[in-house]
Amino acid sequence: MSSHREAPEISKDPVADNTDVYAFVSPERPKSVTLIANFIPLQKPDGGPNFYEFGDDVLYEIHISNRGTAEADISYQFRFRTKIRNDKTFLYNIGPISGIRDPNWNRPQFYDVTRVENGRKRVIAENLRCAPVNIGPRSTPNYPRLAGQSVYTVAGGRRVFAGQRAEGFHVDLGSIFDLGTLRPFQSLHLIPTADAMGVNATQTFNVHSIALQVPINEVTRGNGRPTDPMSDRAVIGVWATASRRKARILDSSTGKAVGNGPWQQVSRLGNPLFNEVLTPMAEKDEWNARPPASDKRYERYVNKPELAALLPVLYPGVFPNLARYGKPRADLNAILLTGIPAGVVPGFQNFTGPVPADMLRLNVAIPPSATPNNLGLVAGDAAGFPNGRRVADDVTTIELRAIAGLTIPLVDPSFTPDAAASGIADGTTDTNQPFLAGFPYLGHPNGGYQTTPGTSAVS
Amino acid sequence: MHETTRRKFLGTTGAGAAAVAVTVAPAAAYAGGTARSRNSATEPVVAYVSDSESDQLTLMVGEREVVVHDRDLVHRLLNAAGR
Repeated sequence: MSSHREAPEISKDPVADNTDVYAFVSPERPKSVTLIANFIPLQKPDGGPNFYEFGDDVLYEIHISNRGTAEADISYQFRFRTKIRNDKTFLYNIGPISGIRDPNWNRPQFYDVTRVENGRKRVIAENLRCAPVNIGPRSTPNYPRLAGQSVYTVAGGRRVFAGQRAEGFHVDLGSIFDLGTLRPFQSLHLIPTADAMGVNATQTFNVHSIALQVPINEVTRGNGRPTDPMSDRAVIGVWATASRRKARILDSSTGKAVGNGPWQQVSRLGNPLFNEVLTPMAEKDEWNARPPASDKRYERYVNKPELAALLPVLYPGVFPNLARYGKPRADLNAILLTGIPAGVVPGFQNFTGPVPADMLRLNVAIPPSATPNNLGLVAGDAAGFPNGRRVADDVTTIELRAIAGLTIPLVDPSFTPDAAASGIADGTTDTNQPFLAGFPYLGHPNGGYQTTPGTSAVS
Repeated sequence: MHETTRRKFLGTTGAGAAAVAVTVAPAAAYAGGTARSRNSATEPVVAYVSDSESDQLTLMVGEREVVVHDRDLVHRLLNAAGR
């Protein structure tokens, strides 16, 4: 998936597992950018009695690079703490939770937001309250109201939200990880079966989101609000991380872990699917511990992606031109590691300099699209991925087609993509909960009582 | 954050020894008496020897990581941790 359980170590630590990052100019507030980082993948909505929550022992961060070095020039830090109101009950709630201050909610979670720039830390919000999870009509009878109460306006024209959301990413996990099957085209697979519709594996699951909306001039170099898309000051790099304390001691007297030492990064995410499908399994954990500025060591996996070599093998005869293409993938290198330089797409660039680094790159001078196309830039909508990433962008299809060679002609006009490159997809559509028109954009989480488990089979 | 300085070691060695004494070493091991300095740590300290052949000791204290190089101290820890 985008980055759900994408590396061996972090797959065992879901509370710190960064699943998706979004960065876009806010459609209804175009003088601001919205930054969203999701964590805790594949939450089954009825997963009580200990429902999902952020880790009190995890440092969550959203980073901005605006000087072309791929270093974090600005970071927003989020630290959580959980309170147990009634220590005599096993229940998450002892009655309906009608508001986020309702004493019936036995395990509320609070958080602080700190902004770091040039080594200076400044707390910009304290004691904010997360939204609870969506349990069901008796426990969380008016969920949209609870979520709305958890949207805070913070000094400086900022807005912030933290809490459970519906998964916004759709993908056919069951097929893709079954030897690269794409159900709509599986009659052409090396091990063929009849073509079928895609199955959206994530449609009933939830995640935990940290969403932040800030004025554009808070995150740009020189603190301006660029209007010229060709200005290098118009582009910011964005990624998120989760860190844990370096040493962890299990205290037998309390049954809890105590952290010691500095924060050690354990999860990182910029572009969707980078660590998931480009980095070899043996290097994924190390990738998660490193900053984007050291990504040169992974450049070879972008220039010669394993998946691009597998497609012609898995789909014999379908990708002959891709199979013959032996040059380094300069198109993927630009999209994922440096940004697209001027002169490739008329009127557009999101180049952040020569340092290869996996970051979402957002040109904030490109206004929100009045008619968004979820295939983003490759479909002519420069306000979408890989110019940042909006919540509805179909990044699975975009990246599949890019890896299949559709974007090679951007940098190498001598190449003709295979016909299949513009058509391949996993066959899923967005059947998740609907997105919201405004902040925090991701849909309300699926309710535990309301959600019916899907069908499954052994063979 | 690494702080690999001799001065830092001198400032924190008392804390490291104290932590070891509390967790693994018999009281007699430091009965000879390294006095605690005025700046010694007052929080829990985790000591980590990643390579028993090296002289490097890593101390986790608060949100800091202090790296010290002292073969004698490493040997004392290894001896205390041995069977």
